[in-house]
Amino acid sequence: MAPQQAALVNLSPAELSFLRASLAQTPPIRLDVTKGPRDFRSMRAEYDVLPGANGSARIALEDGTEALVGVKAEVEKTPQRPASGEQEDVEMHDEEVGEGAGKGQNSWVEMSVEVPGFREDDSLPVFLASMLKESLLASRELRDRLYINRRFHWKLYVDVLLLSPALSYPLALLSMTTHLALLTTLLPALKSEKDEDPLFDDDWDAAVALYPKAAGKSTDKPPVIILAMAVGPNIIFDPCKEELAVADAVLAIACTNSASSATGARIVSIRTIDPPSHLTPPGIPNSMNSATGGTVPTSSTDALTQRELLATSGVWTPPRGGMKRTLVSQVTKMVVESGGVAEEVISALAAIEVG
Amino acid sequence: MNTDRRRNNAPAGGTTAPVFARTIREPGYLQSLRPSRSRGLNELRRIFLQTSIIPSASGSAYLEIPSSSAPVTLTLIPPTSSLKITASVQGPKPLPRSAPFSPSLLLTTTVKFAPFATRNRRGYIRDTTERDLGVHLETALRGVIIGERWPKSGVEVVVTILEGDEDGWWGDSGSEGSASGSGWGLLNVLAGCITVVSAAITDAGIDCVDVVTGGVAAIARTSDSGNSKVVARLLDPCPAEHKEIVAACAVAYLASRDEITEIWMKGDCGQDTDALTEGATHSAVGSLAVVKEVLLEALQAKFQGQLEASEGSLKRKVGDVDMTG
Repeated sequence: MAPQQAALVNLSPAELSFLRASLAQTPPIRLDVTKGPRDFRSMRAEYDVLPGANGSARIALEDGTEALVGVKAEVEKTPQRPASGEQEDVEMHDEEVGEGAGKGQNSWVEMSVEVPGFREDDSLPVFLASMLKESLLASRELRDRLYINRRFHWKLYVDVLLLSPALSYPLALLSMTTHLALLTTLLPALKSEKDEDPLFDDDWDAAVALYPKAAGKSTDKPPVIILAMAVGPNIIFDPCKEELAVADAVLAIACTNSASSATGARIVSIRTIDPPSHLTPPGIPNSMNSATGGTVPTSSTDALTQRELLATSGVWTPPRGGMKRTLVSQVTKMVVESGGVAEEVISALAAIEVG
Repeated sequence: MNTDRRRNNAPAGGTTAPVFARTIREPGYLQSLRPSRSRGLNELRRIFLQTSIIPSASGSAYLEIPSSSAPVTLTLIPPTSSLKITASVQGPKPLPRSAPFSPSLLLTTTVKFAPFATRNRRGYIRDTTERDLGVHLETALRGVIIGERWPKSGVEVVVTILEGDEDGWWGDSGSEGSASGSGWGLLNVLAGCITVVSAAITDAGIDCVDVVTGGVAAIARTSDSGNSKVVARLLDPCPAEHKEIVAACAVAYLASRDEITEIWMKGDCGQDTDALTEGATHSAVGSLAVVKEVLLEALQAKFQGQLEASEGSLKRKVGDVDMTG
C-alpha cells in the first residue's frame, strides 16, 4: 500500500493555492510565464537513431526528460484454424484485390513501456502501454498492412524507453516519440508472391514505409496523445508536474489526422487520468490553528463542518468530483478543430522528418 | 512478463471454442447462430444488484447483468455472455506503521477475472488488462471519495469478475475481422465494476460526494440488406450482438453534480464525441436508478432488523422483570 505516484511534488498547501489561483484567472499565468495555455514545452527530436531497428526516434524535453523508441518487425507464422481456413478459401477467390484488407489482428502489435523506478507490472507503465497500444490499433490500416499472406504476417514490436526518471507525466512525450518512430519505420520490400514463403528484397533503398506517404494526398498517420488539464474555467495543454498537482481534471486525448479532409483531426481514444491533486495535503486555516490565534475544533465533527465551510476561502483543499460534460466536449473541440492543437502537433512532427 | 514461477501452469495460449463438424459442412449454419440485438437502441439490459453479501468485509455488493438474447437449443454454446461481478471493500483501516505518512485515504483497487470468467482461461496472476482496469476504476473512485477525512488510513477495493462480457461473438474468433483483443467487452466490465463498487462503498459507509455509476454507449455499423452501412448509436451494447463496433465509450457519472470522473473512449470516434459521452451518461443514469433502489432497500432492511432486535431485547427485559418481580 505504498503511494504509487513517484512524481508527486512537494508543494505546501499555500504554494498549491497560489499556483491554482494564478492558473485559474483569465488569462492564466502558467509556471513558465512565457507560455500561453496552448503552448507546448520546447523539445529536441531526432529519428533513425538505432541502426538495429526498423524505425526509431528520440525526443528530449528541455527539463531533461528523454524518451527513446525502437520499432522492430519480425515475420511470424499465422496460426491456422480448421473452420476459418475452409471459409477463407472461398472468399480469397472473390476478393483478390484488397489484399490484407480486414485481415489484420490485434495481437500482431506488441507494445512495452519501461519507466525507470517502476516495475513493468506497476500501474503507470501498464496504463501508458495500454493507452498507446489502444490508440494505435483503433484504425484498421496499420493492422492490415502487417498482413503478408495467408500463412505469414509481420509482428511489430514497439519498445518505449524513458531514459530519465519520470519528472512529469510522460504520456505525451512517449506518444510523440512513438509517433515519430512509426512514421519513419521501413519494412523490407516483399519479392515473393501470394502464398509463397515470404522472400524480401535485400536492398534497403527499396524498403516500403509502414505509413506510406503519398504526395499531395493525406494519408493516415500514427496517433499522437495530447494531455490537457482543466483548472477552473481554463484549459491548459501539456502541463508540467507542478501544474498537474493543482489540476481539477486531466484528460489524455489520442488523435490522428482526419481521413477525409487535410485539416483537423479525429479522435481515436480518450482517457481520464487521475490528477495527483487528489493526494495533496489540505491546508489548515488560521481560524483552526491555535498557533496563529485560532481555536482548534473540539470534536472531529466540528472539524469536518469547519472544513466544509472553507470551500471558497482560498485555503487549499484537494479538488473533489470530476469534469463537467461541457468541459469534456470543449477540450475535445479545441484538440480536433481545424487549426487545433492536434493538427499543430502532427504537422510539427511531420516537419521533423522532412528536414 | 508476468509469469507465475511457483506453479506449473497450463500453456499461456489457452483454448479456443470447439469447432463442430457441422459448421464446416454447411457454411451458412454458423451464421445462423449469430445473436442479434432484440432490445431497442436505447434500452438497457436488466440489472440485478445486492449489497452486504460478504459479512466479513466492511462493504460488499454483487452485480449481475444477465444475457438478453434467448437461449438457443441448436447448440451447446451460449450465444452471448452475461456479466457477474462481486466487489468487497476492506477498511478504512490504519496504514501499517512502516508506511509513510499520507494526508488522505489511500485507495487500492484490485480487479481480477476469475480463471473461468471468459472463454479463454485467465491465469492466477493479474495480467495487463486487469491492471489497466484497476487503474480506470481507481480514477473513477478517487474523485468521488472524500479522502482528506481519513488521513493515515487505507481502503482496499477488491473486485472479482465471475463472468465477463466478451469482445465479440465466439463464431468470429480466428477468422478475419476478429474482435479478439479489441477490448469492447472490457468497457462493459469497467462500467459494471464502477456501479458495483459504488454500491459496496456506500454499504461500507465511506463518505462520498455522490453515488457514481458506470454506463456504456457504442457506435455500431449494421449492414442492411442493400449493402448500405448504417451507423447507429446504442446504449449498453452487448459486443456479441454486433458484427462491427466502430467506437465505444464508458463513463463514471455523478448524476446530481452532472460530472464525469472517468471516461474511457476508444475506436474511431471521428470529430464529434459528444453523442457518445451523452449516450454513456444516459446509460449510467439508468443504472443509477437500480443502485438507488437497492441501497434504499438495504437501508430499510437494516433499520427494520435493528428495530426488531431492539424491540425483542426490550420484551425480554420486560419478561425478565416479570420473572424476578
